This record gives sequence, C-alpha cells and structure tokens, in this order.
Amino acid sequence: MIQLDDVHYAYDGLYPALRGVSLEIDEGESIAIMGSNGAGKTTLLKHLNGLLRPQKGHVFLDGEDTSKYSVAQLSRQIGLVWQNPDHQLFLDSVEKEIVFGLKNLGYDEEEVSDRCDRTLERLGLTHLSHRSPFSLSGGERKRVALASVLAIEPRILALDEPTIGQDARQKERLAKMLDQMNEEGRTVIVVTHDIEFVIEHFPRTLAMSEGIIVADGKTEAVLSNPTIVERCSLAVPQMTIVAQGLHQLHPEVSPRLTQVNEIESELIRLAGGI
Amino acid sequence: MSFLEVFQYTRQDSVVHRLDPRSKLVMAIVLAMISLLFMNIVPLLILLSVLLPLIGLARSLQRWAKSMSGLSVLIVFIVIFNTLLSTVANPFSYSIALSLRLIALMSSFSLFFLTVHPDELSQALIQMGVKFEFAFAMSMAMRYVPTLGQEAYAIMDAQKARGVELDRGNILKRIRNIVPIIVPLIIVSIRRALSIAESMESRGFGACENRTYLEQLKFTRHDWALVLVSVVSFCFLVYVRFYLALPPWMSWGLPF
Amino acid sequence: MALIEFNDFSFKYVGSDSLALKKVNLSVEAGEYVVVSGPSGCGKTTLCRAINGLVPQFHRGYIAGNVFVDSKSTRENSVADMAGITGLVFQNPSNQLVTLNVEKEIAFGPENLGVDPAEIRKRVEHLIHLLGLEHLREKHPHEMSGGEQQRVAMAATLALRPKILVADEPTSNLDPQSAEMILELIAEQNREGMTVVLVEHRLDVVAKDASRLILMNEGSVVADGPPEDVLLMDICQDIGIGIPKAVEVFKRLRSKDLHLPEVPMTGEDLVRIFREVVEHDSA
Repeated sequence: MIQLDDVHYAYDGLYPALRGVSLEIDEGESIAIMGSNGAGKTTLLKHLNGLLRPQKGHVFLDGEDTSKYSVAQLSRQIGLVWQNPDHQLFLDSVEKEIVFGLKNLGYDEEEVSDRCDRTLERLGLTHLSHRSPFSLSGGERKRVALASVLAIEPRILALDEPTIGQDARQKERLAKMLDQMNEEGRTVIVVTHDIEFVIEHFPRTLAMSEGIIVADGKTEAVLSNPTIVERCSLAVPQMTIVAQGLHQLHPEVSPRLTQVNEIESELIRLAGGI
Repeated sequence: MSFLEVFQYTRQDSVVHRLDPRSKLVMAIVLAMISLLFMNIVPLLILLSVLLPLIGLARSLQRWAKSMSGLSVLIVFIVIFNTLLSTVANPFSYSIALSLRLIALMSSFSLFFLTVHPDELSQALIQMGVKFEFAFAMSMAMRYVPTLGQEAYAIMDAQKARGVELDRGNILKRIRNIVPIIVPLIIVSIRRALSIAESMESRGFGACENRTYLEQLKFTRHDWALVLVSVVSFCFLVYVRFYLALPPWMSWGLPF
Repeated sequence: MALIEFNDFSFKYVGSDSLALKKVNLSVEAGEYVVVSGPSGCGKTTLCRAINGLVPQFHRGYIAGNVFVDSKSTRENSVADMAGITGLVFQNPSNQLVTLNVEKEIAFGPENLGVDPAEIRKRVEHLIHLLGLEHLREKHPHEMSGGEQQRVAMAATLALRPKILVADEPTSNLDPQSAEMILELIAEQNREGMTVVLVEHRLDVVAKDASRLILMNEGSVVADGPPEDVLLMDICQDIGIGIPKAVEVFKRLRSKDLHLPEVPMTGEDLVRIFREVVEHDSA
C-alpha cells in the first residue's frame, strides 16, 4: 500500500538524512522503525504525508505517486502523531482541539461532532473534554494530541516516539489502543527507541542508520542480530541475552528468542531434562 | 535573507579572529564613521579597498561575496529608485555612491561580527562594565535562537498535518493561520524557559557577588596598535574632510 | 544524620490542589545508589527538586516537615548554597546547555560560585577527558546529538564537585546505546563514592546497578528496599511498575516450583544463576 522507491532527502540540500530508502508496507501491517538519533526515522515519516518531498525517488500510496497530493489531502489517509504534543495544542478545550483538524479537512458539522465524541470516548478523555489542554498532565496532553489525529480516522497511523515519558501502565494502554487500531485493519507505524515495546507489539522491524535501511524483517531476527544492533545504536533485548547465553551451553536453544514465555519454557525444559 | 550571513560568526583561526573584540569594535566603528564622512565614489572605493583586504585577512571573502550577491537585488533597487526620484544634480552618480556607502557600512560591521564569537562579545561587555546577567542574556539568546527556529518548524509541520494550509487563502486567512503556530511556540518557549531556569539555578546562577571567569580577554600590543591606527586615521580624515578641500579627482562623479 | 533526610516532608505546588509529596520519610546514606520509580505524577520529580532545594526555593508552595541534605535544611539555604552539595541532571539535555561551547558549559557552575579560574581550568580539562568530550569542544550545543548533550550536561553538573548526584530520567530521550553510556557514567561515579539518586521508568536497565529501589505512588513512598526484594512485591503490579524481564522469568519459574537461589536483574544474571543451579544439581 505504501511504497518508497529509492528516496533521497538532504536538509538544505547539504545534510543528507535519507540516502536511498526503498520499502514496502502492506495494508494492515504493524511495523516499528528503530535506529539512533539522526538515522533518518522522522525524516522518513515526514515523507509519508508529504511534509517533505523526496529530492530523488518516489513515494507511492496505493500505487499513486504522492507528489500529486497536498499535505492536507494525504493527512486524511495518513495520521502523524508527534513526539511533543505541545507542538500542536493551541486551543482552550480538548474538544475544540479535536474538532479543529476535522474542520480543516472539510468534514461537515454532524460528522465532526460524531467523530469527536467517538474519539474522546475511545481514549477515555470524555471527562476532560471541556478542560484546557494546558492544565492537563504530560501523559494526558499526549493522549489529546493522539486523539486529534485518530479523529480523522486515517487508514495509516504513524507515531513518533510515543512511549517517551510514559510509565508502564500508560504504555500498556497505548499498546492496547494500537493493537485495536491494527485489528480494525489500519496500518500502524511507530518510530521508537523502546526495545521491549517493539518486541511485545510489533512483528516487523526496520532498522535504520545514517539514512539507509540496514535491516527490514521479523522483529526477533533484527533485534537479535549483534551487527545490526551495534550499527543502529540499539541494545540486545534482555531475553535474547539469555537465549544467547543458553545457546552456548545448550546449542539446541535458539539464540534468537525474545519473549519471556519462550525463555520460561526453555528453562523449564532444561531444568526438567537433568 | 542570505545577505545577513555576513553578520554571523564563522569559526576560523585568523589574525583578525585573534584580536580582542574591544579593539575590533573600535575599528569597526571608525570604519563605519569614515564611510559616513564621504559621499563621493572615489573615497568610498578607497575605503572598500582597505576593507576588502581586512575581510580577506579574516578569511571570509567568500562569505562576504555571497552575502553581497544576496544584497545585489536591494542595491539595484536603490540605484533605480534614487536615480529616478532623487533631486540632486547627478542622480545616478549619487545612487552609486549611496550603494557603495551601504556596502562599506555593512562590511565594516561584518568585520566585527564575522570574527567575534558571541561568547567573546558577552565577555567583552562584562569587562567593559556591563552586568553579567545582561551580557549572559545576550549570549543565551544566541544559544537558543536555532532551537527556537527548529521548534517553529516542528510546530508548522504538526499543524500542516492537521490541515492548516499556511500558504493558501487571502491575507486575513493567512493571518488567522498564524495563531496555531504562535500559540504553541509561546507555550513551548515558556515551558522551556522554566526548565532552563531550573538548570541554571541548580548550578548556582547569580549565587555570589564575586563571580569568576574561566577566561579573561587580554588587550595585547596588537590591539593597542589597532586602536591607535584607527583613532589616528579617523582624526586625520575628519580633518581632511572638514578643513581641507578634497582634491578634484577625489570628488569626481559620473556626469549624470 | 544521614546525608539526605526527609522528615515528614509534604509539599504542594502553588495553584495545584493536591499534595505532590505526602509526609515523606526517607534517609539516604553516603555512597548509596538509589533508584526511584513510580507511575507518572507520583512525585518523583518533586522528590529530586526537594533534594537540591528547587523545592521550596524555586518552586514555591505549601510545605510541612523538613529536608536536610548534608545537615543543611533546604528551607533555610538557597539553591545556590546547595549547588555544591547536590548536582541535578534533568531529562531534557538541551535545556541544560546554556552556553555556546563545552568548556564554557562545564565552567558555568564553578564560575557562578566564584571558584578560582586556575582550578576551574583543571576541572574542565579533567571532565572533558573523563567523559570523552574532546571532539565536542568547538561544537554549538545545537549541533550535538541528544546523547552528546546529556554527557556535557553531566560534566557541567559534576564540575561543581557535588556529594550527591540526582538524575531525573536522564536517558528517556536517548537511543539505547547513548542511554547505556550515561547510565554507565552514573554507575562509575557511584563506584568512586558518589551518592546517586536516579529516577527511571525502565528498571530493566538500571536495577542491576542500584543498591536500593524506592517506589512512589501518589506522593508517598510505597516500597523501599534492595531491588531484588522490592521487585518481587505485589505493589509493583498494583501501581503499574514494569519489572525487568529477568525478574519476570524468576517469578514465573517460582510459580511452577522451580526456585532459583537469587533474583536475577539482567539476562546475564539469569544465565549465570541458572547454570549454577543446573551444575549444582548434576554434581
């Protein structure tokens, strides 16, 4: 559904951020993009809805070159949720904040209020709908920003570092919401440093470094590969460290395990086998 | 706005860079005043022929040339308008002189700003008796301007993704469209300012009367020499300008 | 008296209608490595601010009880007076870099306190070397990555030679490798004798270094003890603390009657402990 074909981009024409990125994302996929600061992850996201246009190469959505469409047109299809909610909140109530985007994108009055109510309820924000976003906590503001994008009901949802500053419970709630969006058939793309979050919720991972895609595949394969981990400034997941340690003692244990229950059953098997 | 680059510090090592900011300030002011003394093409050209090698010494000729080409539109504008509208005897000649004066003025100050690191500037101000808090506020502005710019871009991106079309519509609509940019920018900046204040406070900002400085600026023999040369040439030129008549070749102008 | 002493300390920010800290009692001895965790809004940040006097000197509000740091009351001493005792590293690195180059940044604190320039120069060179900042000397903070900025901020804090290093989620904006580097620096400082108080959500990366784990919820301390004890408490689930995966495995094995003799904090720990058990059994 989304296709990037040899996309190049350099800021001010001088500082290369993407150096030939090609990738394909299918409808309904759930994918994580990882890599160090400055690897080009956010730049890549901005190409999806036309905030940045490739200086070389093409971005296709449903087979059509996105260069024909404006940011506003693409934003109906692709919702971008930013790292810092304060970059977009400016109105004096949560409700107005959600309505604002919908009106800009040209939905009629009835549709706007319908969608607004639906989204508020979905994110558990109904009781805050008349509060000013500025009086809310950081976690709540993040949810309001997310709501303002979800209300547009985009087919593709892309989030930049959604877990920063979130505690374990907030992360769980976010993950549940993303899983739900995914089950509805929406494509979910997340840029994050949070390895455990990726392992638990994203089957496919894209690892970037210095403007190119270094690896693209199954999450456990990507994150258990020491070369990729090193090159993209990631860290080996704790369970993979265990798997690799066990593998040295018992070669039949796969060194690519990432999940707690996999390790658990291996340990039980090994302990019982004595 | 590329012509403003000529006022931006460039990190380099040169004779000019190593001079004390205070002596460079004297030089820049003297050069600027000289350019205001004369309104004839020849003396201004002579002045430029002094300025250019100085900028060359500061290894910044390329940047200067780039800025000037950025300025060229404005200069053409000045020349055309003055030639058409001015009531002086030789309007074209006058406009050329005017443009030369502008270039000389800009070059004089650029010699200062190109070669003085903002930190040195604030240190110079402190050593000239300005209160530390004020001088520091200035260098902090330099520190956070790029951050603020980046933030403004991030906000624009966020709002564009919500359907705000910044470059569409009539004037009224465009002005209204600034609100979703300005409000978050102000709020983000206030939050940032608070957190910066916390960090500075935690490191003893304003704690004691006798603040020390890692580095003090020192006036060297070169600096004294520069100040001396600047002041003497200024006095001499003032004398020439007001008490002696300019030789005719100096007041030469174009005939129209 | 312990190095840090909270005696029934409560605090409410101006304009807020609930207490940010509720009757907190806490004492931290010199040389400890304390990790503080808890859900958003539990009062961790306020706790950090209370240790260097930002609360109540910079952030004003209702106060009850006392905090003593190095036997000085934070009610009576200004933040600047505390600056030589408690160094505070914040979450957002770019807001802590207020000058235009690394040397100036490191010198900023000692300059403010009127330290002799020759001594400042010594500290600057030492810290630049210690934290590997040579290549950043001439860079504008704007040109540095988040990890680099945070390392400079650390150096700037250490330049004050504090007895206590307090860090409030110093790695949450960083990529895993930069984060690890910062955490290793903090652990290194602790090994050299520095008292550390670190606020962190991700216990999987910090629990191994900590000598003590404090959990907070709604302004109160709800658990306090060695990480291996606290992480096994039910309170972790109750208030939503993400425990390290290795501890999770330990608990699951325990529920299936496979008891490991130690609680592992990291993957390496788990392999080592398991291996010991297996070798012991087969011997």
